[in-house]
Amino acid sequence: MENSVKGDGLMVPKNLQPFKPFSRSNTRSTAFESTGIGYTLLALGPSLSLFIAVIAKKPFLILTLLSSTLVWLISLIVLSGLWRAFLPFKTGSLWPCTLIILTSVAFQEALRPLFWKIYKRLEDILDAFADRVSKPRLFITDKMQIALAGGMGHGVAHAVFFCLSLLTPAFGPGTYYVEKCSQMSFFLVSAVIALAFVTIHTLSMVIAFNGYAEGNKVDQYFVPAVHLIAAMLTLVNLAQGGCIIGIPLLYIMALLTMGHCGKMVWRRLTEIRSRQGSSF
Amino acid sequence: MEPDGSILDSIGQEIIGVMSPVSICMFLVVLLVYSLYNPATATTIRTAANLVYMESPTDSTAQKLEGSLLNAAVFIILIALVTFLLVFLYYYKFTKFLVHYTRFSAFAVFSSMGGSVLLSFIQHFNFPVDVVTFCVLHFNFTIVGTLCVLSSGGPIVLKQSYMVALGIIVAAWFTKLPEWTTWVLLVALAIYDLVAVLAPGGPLKLLVELAASRDEELPALIYEARPTVDMGRSGVRGSSLGLLVGGVTGNNSGSNGGAVELRVMLRNNNNNHNNNNNWDAESIINVLENESSEIEEVREDVGESSPLIGGGSLMERLSTQSERTNNGGSRENESQGEDMAGTGLRGLKLGLGDFVFYSVLVGRAAMYDLMTVYACYLVIISGLGCTLILLAVCRHALPALPISITLGILFYFLTRLLMEPFVVGTSTSLVMF
Repeated sequence: MENSVKGDGLMVPKNLQPFKPFSRSNTRSTAFESTGIGYTLLALGPSLSLFIAVIAKKPFLILTLLSSTLVWLISLIVLSGLWRAFLPFKTGSLWPCTLIILTSVAFQEALRPLFWKIYKRLEDILDAFADRVSKPRLFITDKMQIALAGGMGHGVAHAVFFCLSLLTPAFGPGTYYVEKCSQMSFFLVSAVIALAFVTIHTLSMVIAFNGYAEGNKVDQYFVPAVHLIAAMLTLVNLAQGGCIIGIPLLYIMALLTMGHCGKMVWRRLTEIRSRQGSSF
Repeated sequence: MEPDGSILDSIGQEIIGVMSPVSICMFLVVLLVYSLYNPATATTIRTAANLVYMESPTDSTAQKLEGSLLNAAVFIILIALVTFLLVFLYYYKFTKFLVHYTRFSAFAVFSSMGGSVLLSFIQHFNFPVDVVTFCVLHFNFTIVGTLCVLSSGGPIVLKQSYMVALGIIVAAWFTKLPEWTTWVLLVALAIYDLVAVLAPGGPLKLLVELAASRDEELPALIYEARPTVDMGRSGVRGSSLGLLVGGVTGNNSGSNGGAVELRVMLRNNNNNHNNNNNWDAESIINVLENESSEIEEVREDVGESSPLIGGGSLMERLSTQSERTNNGGSRENESQGEDMAGTGLRGLKLGLGDFVFYSVLVGRAAMYDLMTVYACYLVIISGLGCTLILLAVCRHALPALPISITLGILFYFLTRLLMEPFVVGTSTSLVMF
């Protein structure tokens, strides 16, 4: 297997085998694997809990999650295809990165209404099916769960491709640091950022679907705006020591998304319940 | 306040029932490859797949390509020959021989290949286990496996686990093939699968038709996914996929008589006797329409080509099950499953060779990078889903390999060449979107 230089300022050998000077001892190897698993759980822990609690019970949601992840993977491939000609660029420089982020976010946000249209068609099919087997149509909670699964697909795709795939050396001894952010190991920083993005992506889909369903312009523009701001905030990491400012700000955006989503869901649910209550 | 009886609870269950063992198999093969693969000491094995050309890293590209093509051609010819032999044997009713041969090959896989995998595991992780204990445990494992995979007795979970174990062992063995040979072989197998199942003279198509005309099961190794929805909770059986697709394809006129829908097979108790023969073959689903009653029959023929031992012997199987279900009168078509609760509900079936070759692709992707693993996994699963949906629509025999393998290889190279420099470049500067 080849050793290769990935990115600037960081050399990551591929498929690093754990170096075991004391081959009889097992304790060192478990320590290495546990740090790797720790970073994985940091980025994907909440998603895993959400998956087990909500999504794993309904097979259709698992299918939605898988197809959503696939769609975002394809979007990443298309974007990298577009930008391939310009690579490798000086990753420390501001303007190429800004351009990349702008185009990527624009492309991904353009995909979201498409996603919504496909979901509408699916909803009609499901409703027709429900009528044919004389069961109730999709409830509002069902629709929100589908949106949640779709958003989680986006979040998981982000975490997997931006964070987890680089974690292979974390399962061995030693660690890597990025020059610009030398306070924490690279794996930790990337896992923490991935966690914030997973939250943002998961909840954005719920907000966006609700916005499209209700025709609520605030929600519809909230999601692309948050995505863009969050992506721009990661540009702060390019400056020396920038991650100290960038990451907390990113988490503020994540909390903002969480708050907005919670408020919106609560509002809709109480609306529906009161409507149901009053109809009796 | 949980809304009960929502359709979201049970839709898509049979697809997940097939996708989870495939995912588990791929995941374990990736783990195995990661823990046991050591590029410095990798020894290439001599199998049917590299009889002609033994690849070495120092050869030129043209040489490697030529050699791999030769290897793949030889392999496919061997498989085709064995498949025709199978058709011949089945035509002349040598079914017992086929059963016993399958048992023998399952035993050989578990004992020799499985033992070798376990041994390298023990060596790598320095498990403190002595020879006697290992022999006893391994012997037990092999015997239980051989008994389990071909008989209908015993808990279904055990049978499913042994099937997955079989797939893992064979896939782990195949990942030892050199790189170029693996890729060319996968492409060749996908094409062969397509031809063998769909072309008029194809051996697997002949097997399907033979089995259909005789109305019995072929001997084969097949993974069977039973749906786990408990009876009577909701009126929608596992057949929801077919209904859903049937609705999509414009059968909305409301006429039930001509509507062909994919139904879950329901077993009759009488049909269990020649159940002991299970082989691999291509994934095929046939749907028949039963004019007399409003219930349709579904046949699922699954099988695939899976070279089990170094000689490249190909086992193929098509299991044909034609079940007849009687509508319980007052019930609607869709919920007839509940009337047959006593006879046991069958689910989708997938041939073991599909497991093997999906896992080989993902294992080979794992030798490059984790990113390619995820991309290939996602694409293979969606290819499998597409195939299942196509089955419900097309209503005749379809192979399971081509779509997934083609997409898998395409996305492997796309990810490796396009996506990885881009994503790694941005994320190592901590710029993410």
